[in-house]
Amino acid sequence: MATSSITPPSVSRRQLLKGGMALGTAAALAPAWATAWGQSSGPGGEHGNIYANGIEEGPEVSLAIRRESIPIDGQPARPISINGSSPGPLVRLREGQDAVLRVTNLLDEPTSIHWHGLILPAEMDGVPGLSFAGIAPGETFTYRFPVRQNGTYWYHSHSGLQEQLGHAGPLIIDAAEPEPFSYDREHVLLLTDWTFESPMTVFRNLKIAEGYYNHQERTVADFFADVRDKGFAATAEMRSMWARMRMSSRDIADVTGSTYTYLINGHSPGDNWTALFKAGEKVRLRVINGSAMSYFDVRIPGLTMTVVAADGQPVQPVPVDEFRIGVAETYDVLVTPDSDLAYTIFAETMDRSGYALATLAPRQGMRGQIPERRRIADRGMEAMGAHDMDGMDHSGMDGMDHSGMDGMDHSGMDGMDHSGMDGMDHSSMSGMDHGAMGGMAAEREVVNTNGMLAAGQAQPGSRYDQAGIGIDPGERRVLVYRDLMALTPWPDRRAPGRELELHLTGNMERYMWSFDGRKFSEVTGPIHFAKDERLRLILINDTMMEHPIHLHGMWMELENGHGELIPRKHTLNVKPGERVSALITADAEGSWAFHCHLLYHMEAGMFRVVQVA
Amino acid sequence: MLVSRTILMCRTVLMRKTMLVGIPSLLVAGMALASGEHGSDHTSVGSADIDRTIRVEVGDMWFDPQGLRVAPGETIRFEIVNAGSLEHEFVIGDTHAQAAHREMMQEMGGGHDMHEMSGAGHDDGMGSVTIMPGETAELVWTAPDNADDLQYACHIPGHYEAGMSGSVELQR
Repeated sequence: MATSSITPPSVSRRQLLKGGMALGTAAALAPAWATAWGQSSGPGGEHGNIYANGIEEGPEVSLAIRRESIPIDGQPARPISINGSSPGPLVRLREGQDAVLRVTNLLDEPTSIHWHGLILPAEMDGVPGLSFAGIAPGETFTYRFPVRQNGTYWYHSHSGLQEQLGHAGPLIIDAAEPEPFSYDREHVLLLTDWTFESPMTVFRNLKIAEGYYNHQERTVADFFADVRDKGFAATAEMRSMWARMRMSSRDIADVTGSTYTYLINGHSPGDNWTALFKAGEKVRLRVINGSAMSYFDVRIPGLTMTVVAADGQPVQPVPVDEFRIGVAETYDVLVTPDSDLAYTIFAETMDRSGYALATLAPRQGMRGQIPERRRIADRGMEAMGAHDMDGMDHSGMDGMDHSGMDGMDHSGMDGMDHSGMDGMDHSSMSGMDHGAMGGMAAEREVVNTNGMLAAGQAQPGSRYDQAGIGIDPGERRVLVYRDLMALTPWPDRRAPGRELELHLTGNMERYMWSFDGRKFSEVTGPIHFAKDERLRLILINDTMMEHPIHLHGMWMELENGHGELIPRKHTLNVKPGERVSALITADAEGSWAFHCHLLYHMEAGMFRVVQVA
Repeated sequence: MLVSRTILMCRTVLMRKTMLVGIPSLLVAGMALASGEHGSDHTSVGSADIDRTIRVEVGDMWFDPQGLRVAPGETIRFEIVNAGSLEHEFVIGDTHAQAAHREMMQEMGGGHDMHEMSGAGHDDGMGSVTIMPGETAELVWTAPDNADDLQYACHIPGHYEAGMSGSVELQR
């Protein structure tokens, strides 16, 4: 039968099918959405757990923001609370509702809430000075917007460094139509990084010395180990290269476990926060990285996780053993624990300086094994797009694909120390792994008549088939951006009318972060998108760190080589040296924030305004 | 009797969602019954050998119906309609054997038709077919005389985990 002769099933038909299916397994249980996040209520209605930060059900919700004493990891702390807990309660809306969210500021400074990933009118987006004036102490601001999407999202302050104080919470929108997967039970896992220092102190420390929280600098012992492994010349060369670039090869994260306590739903590893299940149930985990500065590698030893949504949007299911979640990203995964065992939900920070931990268990008081920690990753030539330092081979230069290299914009190095780059010996470039280079050029480039790549094509210089630093792809199945595919094409299938290139730039030692070498305070005007235009945004990371880039108000469709089955995201992780592109339909009139979601990078100036008119 | 043989395990439990669409659900059951009345005339197995025809719809990521009752030794012609936008499989047979196939497919990174790579044919009593979006495929399968654990499923990586399986109850 020809494809065209089949019409998609009508809504009522699908409702019927999915309705029947859900009932098959869930009939005896409370509806999935009646289960409090962080609170595991068993089928018999017994409330096993404790950390009920509560649910605020839409469409009308009131949230009160306070600063109060709440212990964290058993120690006295003064986080910002929302309705009495920090992080805040789950805000649960339903697709099709008109949300009315009243936020009352009981702090002694202005505050705000940004609804991260939601498509809404610009004046409801919650960015002070851009969407609105902010919420003054003692005032209540009422957000009103139609809810026209579904999935896993979150909310957080967009005022100063408040987010670091726990001013964040999960935001879930239940779908109006059946979702393309089914499950018996769900839990929300909100990852955050807490410090007992004041956020302003952290920021000041970073300004004074970028390596302030980096206790993992290479030592003399490391030097001799490197000499043993790589030979004296290569070691000396690497050392001097990093010195010229004013970086340490172990700068994986700016702020590390030396000050951070990593939390899941507000709980430290010692708290052993537990999500309950019954053996054989299919459990949906809604994982949100609500941390200020920390990327996590999440796995549950003994369980395969099937990724079914990214940034709230459904994707074709991908079974993995581990996934890396950038700051502000969300992933929904399904797991089916079929034994009466405790499983450890293990979220190791990318820099390996710590971890957040929770337990997935059939009852309270159980603990799984804590996996062995991985060694500290070394930036090595990874930062330049290579994967395997040991693969250094000078003959490799010959096989290097130059088109791939061209894709790496050298002019973009401006943001870094020029003299250092000039001094860089090209022989060290041979450290670039062949496979990685091949990956760059593997796409058969389809170029349109206007000279641009066809829509959906991966840019040369992208590394969507790599999870990133510190991940050994041979060890286990790890999610990569290449795996993300939409189930059906998104509505706007136009080719981009133009390209907009932005470089992610920084001077690490002076802790200056920017786009195109200019921090926000130095920029004269907004980036203009013409209303309803379709454009391609190209992000080129000239720095040696990952940056999670977030656009407010509009989706970014990640061009990862899947043509029309392009996945869409609100936050894109751009790896060091990487070139990433996204298609955007500029259908949201107004002024929108566009920034790096590493909190201190944004504060330092990695922020722009996008104006759609 | 015919009705009890062909009735599907439609889980028309009286709950919210089902209540809303109660009437269409009766229609579906009716359709399935009707299709059981007439045999097939274009299969590799002689139509005389077909005990009944069952129409199965697959989508992203579901089967309808989500369960079947079959008689031991019964030969069934499945008409499988892919109403989704992705490629799917319909694999029917022993649950544990299917789990083994699924693991193998995931290790291989997917993209292989199960019946091509595993000889999932007649020895282990498994039947399988791949259906492209918008297409209809046909599969003739004979239920075993004895089995503990039967199911049908799609083993394209991730699809089973996302919900694509149905139970087969052998009515002895």
